[in-house]
Amino acid sequence: MTMEAVSKPKRQLAFVTDLNKCIGCQTCTVACKRLWSGNPGQDYMYWRNVETVPGLGYPKNWTKKGGGFKNDELQKGKRPGLGDYGVPFEFEYEERLFKGAKGRVKPSPSARWAPNWEDDQGAGDFPNNYYFYLPRMCNHCEKPACLEACPSDAIYKRIEDGLVVVNLDKCDGKKDCIEACPYAKPYFNSVTQQANKCFGCFPRVEKGVAPACVAQCVGRAMHVGFLDDPGSSVHKLVNTWKVALPLYAEFGTKPNVFYVPPFLGPMMEDDMGKTSSDNKIPLALLEKMFGSEVKNVLALLSKERARKAKNKPSDLMDVLIGQRSADMMIDPLT
Amino acid sequence: MPRSTRRMFLRAAGAGCLAAAFGGSFAFKTLAAAQDPNAQYEYTGWENLHRNEWTWDKKTRGAHLINCTGACPHFVYSKDGVVLREEPSKDIPVFSGIPEYNPRGCNKGACAADYMYGPHRIKYPLIRTGERGEGKWRRASWDEALEMIADKVIDTIRDHSADCISVFSPVPAVAPISFSAGHRFAHFIGAHTHTFFDWYGDQPTGTVQALGIQGDSCETADWYNARMIITWGSNPLTTRIPDAHYLAEAAMNGTKLVSISPDYNATSIKADQWIHPKPGTDAALGLGMAYVIIKKGLYDAQNLKEQTDMPFLVRTDNGRYLREVDMVDSGSDAMFYSWDTRTRKPVKMKGSWGEQPEKKPPIQPPFFGRNTLTFPKGYLELGDLDPALEGTFKVKLKDGSRVEVRPVFANYKDRIMKDYSPRQASAITGVNAAVITKLATDYATITPSMIITGAGTNHWYYSDVNFRVFHFLSALTASDGRNGGGVQHYIGQWKPVPLPGVGALSFPRGGNKHRFCQTTIWSYYHSEVYDAMENADIDTAAFLNESLSTGQMPLYPRDGRDPKVFLCYRGNFLNQAKGQKYMLRNLWPKLELIVNANFRMDTTALYSDIVLPSAHWYEKTDLNMSHELTFLKMTEAAVKPLWESKTDWEIFRLLSEKVAKAAVKKGYVKYYDEQFKWSRDLSMLLSDYTDNGKLETDVDAVEFFLKKAPHTKGITLDTLREKGPQRFRLNWTSPMKEDLPYTPFQHFVDSKKPWPTLTGRQQFFIDHPTFFTLGVELPVYKAPIDADKYPLRFNTPHSRYGIHSTWKDNTLMLRLHRGGPLIELSVVEARARGLKDNDWAEVWNDHGRIIARVKIRAGEPAGRVSMNHTPELYQDMIEGGSQSVLPIRMNPTSLVGNYGHLKFKPNYYGPGGVNRDTRVEVKRYLGAVPG
Repeated sequence: MTMEAVSKPKRQLAFVTDLNKCIGCQTCTVACKRLWSGNPGQDYMYWRNVETVPGLGYPKNWTKKGGGFKNDELQKGKRPGLGDYGVPFEFEYEERLFKGAKGRVKPSPSARWAPNWEDDQGAGDFPNNYYFYLPRMCNHCEKPACLEACPSDAIYKRIEDGLVVVNLDKCDGKKDCIEACPYAKPYFNSVTQQANKCFGCFPRVEKGVAPACVAQCVGRAMHVGFLDDPGSSVHKLVNTWKVALPLYAEFGTKPNVFYVPPFLGPMMEDDMGKTSSDNKIPLALLEKMFGSEVKNVLALLSKERARKAKNKPSDLMDVLIGQRSADMMIDPLT
Repeated sequence: MPRSTRRMFLRAAGAGCLAAAFGGSFAFKTLAAAQDPNAQYEYTGWENLHRNEWTWDKKTRGAHLINCTGACPHFVYSKDGVVLREEPSKDIPVFSGIPEYNPRGCNKGACAADYMYGPHRIKYPLIRTGERGEGKWRRASWDEALEMIADKVIDTIRDHSADCISVFSPVPAVAPISFSAGHRFAHFIGAHTHTFFDWYGDQPTGTVQALGIQGDSCETADWYNARMIITWGSNPLTTRIPDAHYLAEAAMNGTKLVSISPDYNATSIKADQWIHPKPGTDAALGLGMAYVIIKKGLYDAQNLKEQTDMPFLVRTDNGRYLREVDMVDSGSDAMFYSWDTRTRKPVKMKGSWGEQPEKKPPIQPPFFGRNTLTFPKGYLELGDLDPALEGTFKVKLKDGSRVEVRPVFANYKDRIMKDYSPRQASAITGVNAAVITKLATDYATITPSMIITGAGTNHWYYSDVNFRVFHFLSALTASDGRNGGGVQHYIGQWKPVPLPGVGALSFPRGGNKHRFCQTTIWSYYHSEVYDAMENADIDTAAFLNESLSTGQMPLYPRDGRDPKVFLCYRGNFLNQAKGQKYMLRNLWPKLELIVNANFRMDTTALYSDIVLPSAHWYEKTDLNMSHELTFLKMTEAAVKPLWESKTDWEIFRLLSEKVAKAAVKKGYVKYYDEQFKWSRDLSMLLSDYTDNGKLETDVDAVEFFLKKAPHTKGITLDTLREKGPQRFRLNWTSPMKEDLPYTPFQHFVDSKKPWPTLTGRQQFFIDHPTFFTLGVELPVYKAPIDADKYPLRFNTPHSRYGIHSTWKDNTLMLRLHRGGPLIELSVVEARARGLKDNDWAEVWNDHGRIIARVKIRAGEPAGRVSMNHTPELYQDMIEGGSQSVLPIRMNPTSLVGNYGHLKFKPNYYGPGGVNRDTRVEVKRYLGAVPG
């Protein structure tokens, strides 16, 4: 299978996550978990996760795992160990509560790492410390490194919507996709000896229903739609306003999940406790994540918001506010 | 692996899930239509595996009936009699020009079915065989368990008194039917029930003091109407997850966001400005703002004159209000005066307590100090009267003597000008003076501006002062009753909007024939709590004795008896209790029988004697509502109650039957209830409970409930099921307006009816002796109580991963943070104590000790320890729980019950218990970590 053949679906479904609206509540994480990844061997995997940035993330140090493309060459990255994801805690409630076992109900194994271990921690010194939330999922890339790496041709990009899917009839568990994905989003299921990953809720999408993480996003931070649909909010944010950016574009896979960078938030404080004009979140961090254009995007977002503060209209802010869920996504109803 | 053709798939889907879901009326949506159907689904074979994972054969309405203000409507999806998952129903009606409430849910609600099938589930009636808390049980039949309880109930009434029995079940708003079941049972046997809003520390006593109202807040869609929002001691991004989106959406709409919080929390990170005062100094910050607003003349004098007590005259000689009784023979002590600048005479002010409405109010809403809504519209209008706000005047009293009088505003302004300049406020709060000036100026000029507050300001000893100051800021800027304005508090789940329904179902013979116990006093007294308040020179016992001996606050049981029987359901009483160590040591042994009805083995169940399995939220019919939105929802049975569990309504019906039988068996059928002059016939208990067979089931009770209140007129279970959430027809302090979010107090502000206070106005001056003794007759800053001689403040906020204790033990939630309860510490304090992230640490003071793991958080300020409140005692802590280091502390102002609107009514006014003034020390735990 050549890249040429698979990378041109008829349409591409794209996701936009507005980091200004993400509240870090993990509802999307749970929605996804409860719908799809509750089967044997899947406990440790969160196809959708939310991590606090800056931090090591999930799996630990994933940004340094390697993979993706360099000069169009597929890179072989590392495969995270179970400890990097966090061994799922088990708890002996029944023994303690119903059978008189002594002591406390403790996590097993002992708590040392977990998918959201760094919840609300961030970096910097009080009061000028900083953090924000970063939801992550399969990027359903234009150039999926997982697909390219799969020796069994088990991964394909659906013609109808461009979602990247592992064919479980074909996957024979070679794990190359896990090494190749620079975002660490395919997972190895040791029970079925196959790769599992987000498939974009295609059964819902086929029925015109938004994926679970989007439809259940109570921060109303998610947009989903077809990039070629000029009426869709994803089109407006990615193509028209160009305020939604891919994460770590240099990984070379051309993600179809985009982020509106965080422009809301307080400024630094000086020693007197007065507000300065410096952003708390260092620009360098955002540039590293979202590329050099992030600076212009932040300026544009602030400018448009300032219009609203003066009671002037702003189409961009209206799209981000998304008064009606139906304007942010293909139908949210189930 | 199942393989089928696309044709088969679609047929199956059409006949099964979609037809079930939408009754066939719902068309396929945009996507399918937009695509070329011939090109679709080329790979159909294996993909059906996942398509089949997203199917169901039954879809029902669900809600999560816990002490949560979310009230999020869900659909519950089942297949083959098993609940698979839930998802917000996304059908809450919308307001024009405002982002919608949908989807409304959270991480916890998205895994609520876990408790149906999880390891905590109580499957059968259990009778304790080991020590309380040990977890040793034997399985019993329902008959055996209920008969045991029934025998004890009769024995206790016969040998002691009915008020030695109590029923604890909080928060009617989230499950009015379940709530009513136990209250109805208690009502007919003469047991007492418990208050909860005050006991949880959430009841804003300052709001009662200032407004004469238990509290009322706008629905959260109205946040979007504000042009400036101050989240003050409130962290909605963590604790009000379904509503938090309105903050970022308002910000994007141009609204200025300010977060006032000692720590850099999830809400602060979205704000334009984060202001971090020293913990517990909020009132000083607010008064610094008031200083600026007054000094710059940014206040609305007309509003103060009409809506507040600011023009009311105060005697200089005795510091009290000038009353009618001072001026004329047989004058009222609840009529007051202002100084008319036109006639230069004292003028009696209309609408105060001494002047009751001509039309007797049909109901006395318990959330009001008095019902003033039957006064005619426009009653507070000043007309030609122009009351003075400033100046000093002389009036002639009835004995001919002349005394000096001054308006409340003049006195208060003097205090503010003397003590709360931005520089002075800065010295107290640590907030830069220029920042205070700017904050005040913005607040008064970027309007409508709203203060959103919560536990961060309301869980202090002097939280009443905090709230009085907030209300004063709102009064200065005439912000109340305006969409996008006002002071909005969201702590506590306190608002069952259709209150007459709750009353009719819970207290059939009337609330005046029901024993309402003030739970904080009950817990303090019977747990023999040591509150260490002598270290702060306040003698709690003296104030309490005064309050009890004069009947200002109730104490049950009466006549010095000990409590004997405790029935608890829908609330984790012991786990949440402040003074927990004292309670376990002193109160628990007094209780001869502790019964818990529950679907999960929480701490209270674990420390009980008989545990009854109750239905999960998806196994019964009930209603669900909150003050955060004006829509009523329902839950219904997706499956029958699992194992041997039963609905709360059925449990208390069966118990009523058993008690009636036990009464006959024991020959103790009738007793005369002296307190209520009520000849009770316990043999009639079952027919009383079911109203002669009319209320056999939870469904009967819902239908009865809905018909009893004008707020739910015309709403039925069928409409809730078929059409989704329904808007209330009527509300508490403002009219319901079509297509406009509810915001409170328009009956007073717009219709100009008297406020339900002593003065008939928003009342900031309270001339009660207790208030003078404490120096809070006017709302002035009082430093936090430092009765515990330890270096660090102990802070107990709410967690993202639990609603109080619920979900704290959920495996998925625990996997999404650190597997257990945490003590959060600043980098500075951790370093000073040689503590590293994830170390075990010991937190202690004179009241108790906690040993748990440490999390170091850069956003946490020095000088305090934070621990998300109330993990279950059996969770991953080597010792104790968040409540172990808390005494119960009662501010004497909340024990006052003999001053106009300050009187005991359940969940309206009474002491809270207070947690945030507590002090502790922390050190590394070097002892053994049991395996």
